[in-house]
Amino acid sequence: METSLIATLGLLALGVIGGITFKVLQGKGHRVSTKEIIDLGKLKANNNGLPTTEYGKKATLVQFSTSYCGQCPGVKRTLSQLEYRLGGLCFAEVDITERLDVAAHFNISQTPTVFLLNDKGHLIYRMGGVPKMNQLMQELEKLGVK
Amino acid sequence: MTEIKRIDPRGPRFGAGITSVLSLASFALSFQFGFIAGYPLMVALFVLFAWSVFLPKNHPYQLIFQKLVRPRLKEPTELEDPRPPQFAQKVGFSFAILGTLGGLVVSALIPIAAAFIFIAAFLNAFFGFCLGCQMYLGLRRFGIIR
Repeated sequence: METSLIATLGLLALGVIGGITFKVLQGKGHRVSTKEIIDLGKLKANNNGLPTTEYGKKATLVQFSTSYCGQCPGVKRTLSQLEYRLGGLCFAEVDITERLDVAAHFNISQTPTVFLLNDKGHLIYRMGGVPKMNQLMQELEKLGVK
Repeated sequence: MTEIKRIDPRGPRFGAGITSVLSLASFALSFQFGFIAGYPLMVALFVLFAWSVFLPKNHPYQLIFQKLVRPRLKEPTELEDPRPPQFAQKVGFSFAILGTLGGLVVSALIPIAAAFIFIAAFLNAFFGFCLGCQMYLGLRRFGIIR
């Protein structure tokens, strides 16, 4: 009796710990030190269906999406609203459903993945999963986007 | 590209909830009464997974969800592509095969398979984290699936 109860509760606890870890890590961003320049034209980035190559005056958000990603459309809406609300910020989306080479190049293993670029188009910060908005806002503020 | 009918993401999550209960029960029975005691539920999981892989349209989970659960919920905010959850069902199916066929040879495989199925289903049902879906882009990148 004891062993089975302990084993079952242990498994349940493992599930809960896994779930909480996921909630904490999901969308958590980190700084990128390589400062690679992200060429929006080469990536065939678009903003609401129109091709875009322009960086924002202060910052640019690039969202990588796939057609089979459930949470991408919601994130896209949120980030588009940010672009509309905040000055100096541009938003661009890249569909990587059939472009696994792009995913491999940037080491993207989940969608959405969001890149934050500075005014010169250097990649400085990235978030895998649904971004944590308060964290993203802090990073944007550091770049002077308000 | 053909148009794919998008689905209510809560459908697969509802199914995962039932799966997590069944697999946890199979796991608990294995520990309580010897590994083979979890076998009937493992076979049930095998049948349910096979059903959703080969005949997803009239799966019992799906019918219960549509008839009894969905009418009581609000409209979904977002529909999702069915391919990642279907892929996740295939991953679940392979673990059920391991438990059902492998379990006949090495009975310890029954609780092991049940544990893996439980973790994946539990994370999906209660945390909205779909392990199979998460692996989808990564596995495609490495050419393991197309």
